[in-house]
Amino acid sequence: MPLLPRSTYYDKNYRQSPALIRARQPYLIKNVLTGAAIFAFTVGVYAFTIRAVSQDEFEDVIVPDKPIQPPHAPNAVGNKS
Amino acid sequence: MRSSYTCQKCLTFLRSGARPQLHCVRQAPAQQRWISLQNNQPTIIRASPQPALAKRFVSSTSRQEQNAAGESLQPRTPPGLEYTRMRGDPHRLLLQPDNLFHSFSNSPSPDIRRRAAFIKQHAYCPHPHHRQTRLPTTPDDPETKKSSAAGSPPAHVQYECPDCGIPVYCSEEHFADDYESHLEICDTLRQINEDDHDLRSGRFFPEFECPGPQLEEALVNMTNWDTFLYSREFAAINEDRSLRQATKLLTYPATIASVLHELSPYNIRKGGRLTVEGLKSLSALRYTLHPPRTGGGGDIKGLRLTPPAVRIFIVGARAESSLPREVWIQLAYLFPRVKFHLIFIGPESMANRDDEFPLPPRTPSNPFGAVVEDRISSELKISTYVEYYHTLHKAGHFYPYDPYFDCFMLFHPGLGHPASSHEWEETLPLLLETKVPILATGYTDWDMQRDLQWVQEKMAGEVDLLMEPGENKFRSLRWDLNDLDPQDISCGNWGLWAFRGKRYETTRQEE
Repeated sequence: MPLLPRSTYYDKNYRQSPALIRARQPYLIKNVLTGAAIFAFTVGVYAFTIRAVSQDEFEDVIVPDKPIQPPHAPNAVGNKS
Repeated sequence: MRSSYTCQKCLTFLRSGARPQLHCVRQAPAQQRWISLQNNQPTIIRASPQPALAKRFVSSTSRQEQNAAGESLQPRTPPGLEYTRMRGDPHRLLLQPDNLFHSFSNSPSPDIRRRAAFIKQHAYCPHPHHRQTRLPTTPDDPETKKSSAAGSPPAHVQYECPDCGIPVYCSEEHFADDYESHLEICDTLRQINEDDHDLRSGRFFPEFECPGPQLEEALVNMTNWDTFLYSREFAAINEDRSLRQATKLLTYPATIASVLHELSPYNIRKGGRLTVEGLKSLSALRYTLHPPRTGGGGDIKGLRLTPPAVRIFIVGARAESSLPREVWIQLAYLFPRVKFHLIFIGPESMANRDDEFPLPPRTPSNPFGAVVEDRISSELKISTYVEYYHTLHKAGHFYPYDPYFDCFMLFHPGLGHPASSHEWEETLPLLLETKVPILATGYTDWDMQRDLQWVQEKMAGEVDLLMEPGENKFRSLRWDLNDLDPQDISCGNWGLWAFRGKRYETTRQEE
């Protein structure tokens, strides 16, 4: 057949036809609210996780000063063989 | 040469005599094209007009279907004289889609001009200055404003409103005087005008193509027309006008299905209109209508005991029996694995089915000469009885009645209407005796309340209400004009309610 069968509920630019919009109308608000709830849940999970693994405060740990001379480094022997 | 197969005499006769025939065919090209494409008669005709009291009988839109049926029975035109039918060719259309509003008297369609002449001959002007012509039937009947004694003699309508194109008043003065009350219906009348012209315009009607059966698991959503059409996989009906044309036919099977199906929009919650008794009756029917799977198949091992068909008695059927079978089988497609037997009973049940006359002879196996159509499909059989229901009931023809299988459907019965209530007096007690649910529709809320009151009165309260009267979610969206009274506009199956004979449960005696 020359054309694949296409749903009449979408026009040639794949936009929803008025019939489809009317058919979806009773569920529009409930769907939007459900979608918002799921989205909020996802955002909440991300926010919690990122906050949970964010860097700790280390103000109470005393870092010793850097020594003046670097310790004697062993001879860096390259790969001779 | 094609004409070499036709003799010269015949050719000359056909060329001269067939010119009117060709003209006739050209005048109604789409009807024939329509028939050839779709093989159905999309709209219904109400019974022929009765005297003014009978406001139920509307001589409606499709006189053209009669023409088309007549044309389809005529011998085919010889090959050389056939004209090519081109689908969607704009030159063949009688009316373009943007040119649908015409005043009825000046309409390009001869059928509508005939209707305009009929209206002008029969309908009376509703202005209060005239005398009353008949008793008012509803509180908002224009006859209530007229007085029965004083006033000028009643005049037939002549003047057509320029906005809606339908003859509504006898003169321009009365029209101007009564303009406010006309304004209430002017928009609807204009819509009716355009829809009627649309039906005769000769366009291709994709909205009348009904789908086949669907997967049982693909449930049908019966919240409203749009979800129903979408879930039933109808082709998308985007235009309002097309939706109106389609729902006018589909309202009949959809109304029945919307009550009986388990996914029906009516429930026992507040506002759901179903009563507890209604739930009991409908549960019994739904037990049969949604059978559990039995593991049956096509072979010998798949043989299972099948229940008898669900019988839906459509009592007082008028033009519903002439609806195309494609439309009625939508009812069977909504309930897979269930067999239906639709029985149309009524003195006018063969309305608009003139080509099926004469009725079959009365034989012992068919004692009432019923027209039986059992070849429609394996799931649907339709019988039509041209009899009063009480005759058949007293003969015990359909006995026994089983509340798990049987249901009565009354489409606009006019139970309390003065013109038709005497015909229902004898039938009603017998209907209630069967204890089978009776679904009824009505044209308006007032209509249904009057029917309910009449039923309660006649049966002295021995009636159980199964569903409260209210708007039918699957009503016809298209409005119809009553040719005998243009002020009376109605739409098919506007309201729906249900009742049943009162059942008494056994109770314990107090000790």
